[in-house]
Amino acid sequence: MAKGQYLGEFEHIVLLTVLRLGDGAYGAMIRAEIERVTGRSPAIGAVHATLERLERKRLVSSWIGEPTAERGGKAKRHFKVEAEGVSALKNARKTLERLHTGVSLREAIA
Amino acid sequence: MRPPAFAQALLAAVAPAHDYEIVAGDLHEEYLRILHSSGANAANRWYWAQTLLSIPSLLSYSRSNKSALRHIGVALIALAVLLAMFAVIFVIDAAFEKFFGNMDRIPDWMWFCVNYADTVVFGAILAWLVRPDGLRVSFFAALFLVLCFVVPALAGHPGSQLSLAAWIALLTVIPAMCFGAGLYQVVSRRKSGVS
Repeated sequence: MAKGQYLGEFEHIVLLTVLRLGDGAYGAMIRAEIERVTGRSPAIGAVHATLERLERKRLVSSWIGEPTAERGGKAKRHFKVEAEGVSALKNARKTLERLHTGVSLREAIA
Repeated sequence: MRPPAFAQALLAAVAPAHDYEIVAGDLHEEYLRILHSSGANAANRWYWAQTLLSIPSLLSYSRSNKSALRHIGVALIALAVLLAMFAVIFVIDAAFEKFFGNMDRIPDWMWFCVNYADTVVFGAILAWLVRPDGLRVSFFAALFLVLCFVVPALAGHPGSQLSLAAWIALLTVIPAMCFGAGLYQVVSRRKSGVS
């Protein structure tokens, strides 16, 4: 795996959220889902900056939808996770599982 | 009911030109949801918080396909323009001094005009150089100019020419950039056909 393909924590969260929501997820929907699931309330700018970075890494792709009245006549940018994105998520999970192997969190607290 | 206008203008100033509509649409959608569930005050507070917290992230990226080399080129040209403008101001000042014999005789309105004109010209040249991200660069330019003039304004002896010129520049930079931002929004909305 190339060094640039490793996921940062927020990249990981955003990529997983897009995958959970399915093809067509967009900024406001992704932000609200992150808030609902994690309890964190990220800034919409942070979500878009992260999505742009993921798109540059070719982990997600995007397309522009039609403007709608409930958005003040403004269009949406829809996102979908690409095969490389799924692969990056699998690698991130494997890495975390390897790191957790043999570590007892209960003992660490005691 | 619409989101706070000044927060929208701020968002327009810092968001990448290609993504402004998208980000503003996302905020608008959630704003309406909060407005219906929690009222206007909560919705306005939420919109302001989102806008302010988004500034660093929005300034950090651009969807334009310009290469890093092109950005460096634009930055160098902008620096050259800035230096050229300082040189022009220096020459004008020297000419004024020679013509009037005494700088104190220069009326305040003339200082005001010179400062306002160079600010507007500098912002316009930068915006023209780096379209469609011109608005963002104008925002940076405004910040830069404010920083350049805050120090002399505070450090200059009260009532001195330096202090006066700095304060005039400060008071003209921000309205000039707001005017440019508003004009940019009107033109880009007309071009994209969005009302």
